[in-house]
Amino acid sequence: MSEKEKNIDNVRQENEKPVLLRMENIEKAFPGVKALDKVNLTVKAGTVHALMGENGAGKSTLMKCLFGVYSKDGGKIYLEGKEINFKNSKEALENGVAMVHQELNQALKRNVMDNMWLGRFPKVAKGVPITSEKKMYKATKEVFDKLEINVDPKTVMSRMPVSQRQMVEIAKAVSYNSKVIVFDEPTSSLTEEEVEHLFRIINMLRDQGCGIIYISHKMAEILRISDEVTIMRDGKWIATKDAKGLTTDEIIKLMVGRELTNLYPPKTNEIGDVLLDVKDLSAMYSKLSDVSFSARKGEILGVAGLDGSGRTELLENIFGVATRKSGKLTLDGKPIRNRNSRDSIKNGFALLTEERRATGIFSILNIRENATISSLGKCRSGPLLSKKKLKKSTDWCIDSMRIKTPSQETKIRSLSGGNQQKVILGRWLLTEPTVLLLDEPTRGIDVGAKYEIYELIIDLAAKGKTVIMVSSEMPELLGVCDRILVMSGGRLAGEVNAADTTQEEIMALAAKYA
Amino acid sequence: MKKLLATILAIAFVFGLTACGGNSDGEISVFYYNFGDTYISSVRSAMDKIFEDAGLNYNNYDGNGNQTTQTEQVTTALAKGSRLLIVNVVDTGSNDAAQNIVNLAKEKDVPVIFFNRSVDESVVSSYDKCVFVGTDYEMAGHMQGEMIGKYLVENYDKVDLNGDGKISYVMFKGQEGNAEAIARTQYGVEDANKVLTEAGKPELVFYDAQNSNKYLVDQSGNWSSSAATDYMNTILSQYSEANKNMVELVIANNDDMALGAISALQGAGYNNGTGKTIPVFGVDVTDAAQTMIKEGKMVGSIKQDANGMASAITTICQNFLDGKETFDGIEEDNIVGTWRVNIPYSVYTGE
Amino acid sequence: MSAAIKRKGRLSARLEEFKAKSGADKRRAIVDLLFNNAMYIIIVIAIIYIAIQVPAFLSTSSIVNIISLTAAKLPIALGIGGAIVLTGTDISAGRCVGLTACISAALLQMTNYANKIFPELEVMPLWIVLLIVIAVGAAVGLVNGFFVAKFKLHPFIVTLSTQLIVYGLILMFLMIGSNNGQTLSGLDESYTNFVKGTLFRIDGVAVPKYVLYAIILTALMWLVWNKTKFGKNMFAVGSNEEAANVSGVNVFWTIVIVFVIAGAMYGITGFIEGARIASCSANTGLNYESDAIAACVIGGVSFVGGTGKISGIVIGVFLLQIIFVGLNFLSVDQNLLYVIKGMIILVACAIDMRKYLARK
Repeated sequence: MSEKEKNIDNVRQENEKPVLLRMENIEKAFPGVKALDKVNLTVKAGTVHALMGENGAGKSTLMKCLFGVYSKDGGKIYLEGKEINFKNSKEALENGVAMVHQELNQALKRNVMDNMWLGRFPKVAKGVPITSEKKMYKATKEVFDKLEINVDPKTVMSRMPVSQRQMVEIAKAVSYNSKVIVFDEPTSSLTEEEVEHLFRIINMLRDQGCGIIYISHKMAEILRISDEVTIMRDGKWIATKDAKGLTTDEIIKLMVGRELTNLYPPKTNEIGDVLLDVKDLSAMYSKLSDVSFSARKGEILGVAGLDGSGRTELLENIFGVATRKSGKLTLDGKPIRNRNSRDSIKNGFALLTEERRATGIFSILNIRENATISSLGKCRSGPLLSKKKLKKSTDWCIDSMRIKTPSQETKIRSLSGGNQQKVILGRWLLTEPTVLLLDEPTRGIDVGAKYEIYELIIDLAAKGKTVIMVSSEMPELLGVCDRILVMSGGRLAGEVNAADTTQEEIMALAAKYA
Repeated sequence: MKKLLATILAIAFVFGLTACGGNSDGEISVFYYNFGDTYISSVRSAMDKIFEDAGLNYNNYDGNGNQTTQTEQVTTALAKGSRLLIVNVVDTGSNDAAQNIVNLAKEKDVPVIFFNRSVDESVVSSYDKCVFVGTDYEMAGHMQGEMIGKYLVENYDKVDLNGDGKISYVMFKGQEGNAEAIARTQYGVEDANKVLTEAGKPELVFYDAQNSNKYLVDQSGNWSSSAATDYMNTILSQYSEANKNMVELVIANNDDMALGAISALQGAGYNNGTGKTIPVFGVDVTDAAQTMIKEGKMVGSIKQDANGMASAITTICQNFLDGKETFDGIEEDNIVGTWRVNIPYSVYTGE
Repeated sequence: MSAAIKRKGRLSARLEEFKAKSGADKRRAIVDLLFNNAMYIIIVIAIIYIAIQVPAFLSTSSIVNIISLTAAKLPIALGIGGAIVLTGTDISAGRCVGLTACISAALLQMTNYANKIFPELEVMPLWIVLLIVIAVGAAVGLVNGFFVAKFKLHPFIVTLSTQLIVYGLILMFLMIGSNNGQTLSGLDESYTNFVKGTLFRIDGVAVPKYVLYAIILTALMWLVWNKTKFGKNMFAVGSNEEAANVSGVNVFWTIVIVFVIAGAMYGITGFIEGARIASCSANTGLNYESDAIAACVIGGVSFVGGTGKISGIVIGVFLLQIIFVGLNFLSVDQNLLYVIKGMIILVACAIDMRKYLARK
């Protein structure tokens, strides 16, 4: 406690700029999880305030409380000294609080200026319900000129690269004359040059007196652009510090809050002979090209790389849910084709997808239905399904995955993310796979459940199964995997041994073809 | 790319159409309100045959019960270079639709023959090359009522199953808001009552005293047999001879509904040709109803003369094309003023 | 015996649980219970009200009538239900029933009937005709399913198109020979007996045979939905198509088969309907789908996808028939019938959706 107070004092002494936004003791609970526990955040005018923390630390929940996407359970928010309580992001926008989202929600079939002025189209004249394309074009052009964005306002969104769409989103936030702008992982899809452009814009906004909240995982960026840093962990406020004099190590220590070794269970798997061999795998509709590697029995093979580097595409192509252009798969010395998901399942493959909600769970079906969908063939007696066998399979899932649920008939959507993930893992284990393809198996899961998933993964490998695991969290790959493949720009950039590599080495490989 | 393709297709289509229209001296365009209507289908096949025999170029259009569709078809046909319009107008509720068609034809100096579904005199008279071939639509109801009245007077005691001296009936209406349905529903009962009163018998009683409408209507407005079957089944579950409140007479706006009611009655053991029969009356004399009547499963129906209507229409059509007097060759008794030809109904009881 | 004890145990356990709750929670639990069983409550209230007004409503013959009507409308709803589980719909159902009814009637007219559409044709064996109409229905379903599954077109668009095509086929079919679009009637006795004949009598009231067929079809569909791999796959596809694909479900065939089964159901409905109304015209079957869809959604087969029960569909059809018969018994003004029916569908669906609304 005393340390925290000191931190605040430090900040107060050094900075006398006026406070723009103050969030005090914000609380938010979801069933089974305390997402925010008395979190504080103070943003001053004319500064860039970095918000840091691991996945699941509560950064985006905090922002969602600010924008009224979630209603907070406790705490107060002040904007320029006045207490506010936005009901939705529209209200926030109208009061000068804007956000540039990581996942772009844009009307892709409409053009740039339609997106910019959506919900507030300029009228031809006051009281006349006809929108003026001319005014819209002019206003858009003005904002773009100011921000040095070189895009025709009449371009259709879907024809532009993601980085330009991101710029449009930023321009939109600026066009509201916002006082506070939140950037959520803005650089994840930008090239180095574009990042420089973004920083120029941010610096310009700061000089105009805006308060910027900058959410990012990238240490170097944070240290370069921000004035202050607030660090969160497990839904709690940990520290707010002046960026000057802060080091990467210090930030990581605050973010992780404990020794890395405790985060991962001990490894008990033994690596055997080569099981799966992938040769010159190229995708038809994505940039994945010429990937070759092999995986052994009992091995946990990590796949690292930036977003869009082809990690997910690699798994999808192996599993046959994306169209292959070329490549050979060999399992246990025999060539296999994995033409579609059914074929792959028959060959002993399983794919845990990245987007649990979109492609994993059947949210309105119950746990039994979710668990047994891939192994219904085994639960038959005669031509009909046997409820007894279905129940038995599901019981096995619940027991061995340690799923916390009131009953088999509980709808899966009422479980926590971690338990949902365990149900899907269980679904795949019921198919008795030999090769498990796991895409971000711990995304959006709280720390405790992560540990359990790691245990399950290591346990599976110990039983002689091959696990290929994609993750964006470098420490996780280093802590769980035996070997790590690094993808870059759709190609395999390199292969490292988890025991004797560093994050820096992996990052360097990941940037190889980017 | 897509837009370009669509444009090319559209242009090709338009040229294709004009090319088709160009190589003859214009079609005779016949617009039916709905191909699905049984009676209209009889008129259509009769008319098709006459046109084919005469070697005339004609084209049929199905309005599918939608006035907008029909009006668009008329504009298209006129644009195509139609010589003459024969129109079975969809919307009989107001004059606007018919007047609109007349105006369109007038512009191009194309004659119009309306038929079957009623068109107001003021509309027809507004254009010298316009006539209406129809039936006095109220007549069907009048004749049905009269037929029922006569039948009842002759068979009163046989029909009056519970012997209470009164005949309880049910009326199936084909559609809400249709002039013909309204007239048939009204006169089918009123005229029967007139005959009964003259013979010193009490008037008909609707089987359900609570029902202030005194009819049951096809909710989907299709004059359909299934609606009549469902209603009749429901009635039979509540009213029976055992309860001494059996429905003793069934009147339907058309034969399809009459047949539907018979199907339900047969399920309850009536109208099988032998044994007990509840008298059922319809309108149209469709082939199916004709057979029913011959077999004694139905009593009577009013015939709309499909062939007569078709031949009147085609005669007038030929007169227009040849530049003869409009009503040349039409039986004089059937001509009303200078605007209308009425095709008479006839009673059909199987004799 | 043991099952009964178990059930009793479960019930008392629930009661205990309920007693343990606080006042506000108790109230909420009761409200939830009422809402979750709203359909049954509405039906019971409706029956009691109508029966008090018109006691004959509960007479044997009236009950048999309601059951018969329900049986007649059930198969088509069972077919459409599957399409709704897939978040789709099928508006070609009514026309499909029309076509198959006309085909059944045409092939089964009396030999000596004067206006036969096929004058040379002997009366065909019933089972062959039944197979033919099932095949015709299934073929339309196959087209529907293929376009939905292959091109990811919305079922509304696909069935809107096939509905038109089928209507055209009906019109053409009725123009065959010298029929000139006339109503098809004069059905052979073997056919009408097979459908409308007496199954057995209760209190002297004949129960028609098609009630039995509806029960058989319902049982069959229950098995398909609940006890087969295909059924489970159908719910999975309806709930999350992408996830189903990854999980190894053959999404294409699942969709196709749902529509083929629906088509087969329409074929059977056409076969029954042909004899039941005994006169088939181009209008036969028109708009049948709207009642069937309404029955499904009333019964909790939701357009959200992935949910629905056969029992719900039966309840939905049953409720609609209660309304139809009940309002007739009450001699309600004909115009008001539309209003009441519309309101009941709206309320039923609103209550149903309440279960799926995410609460923040």
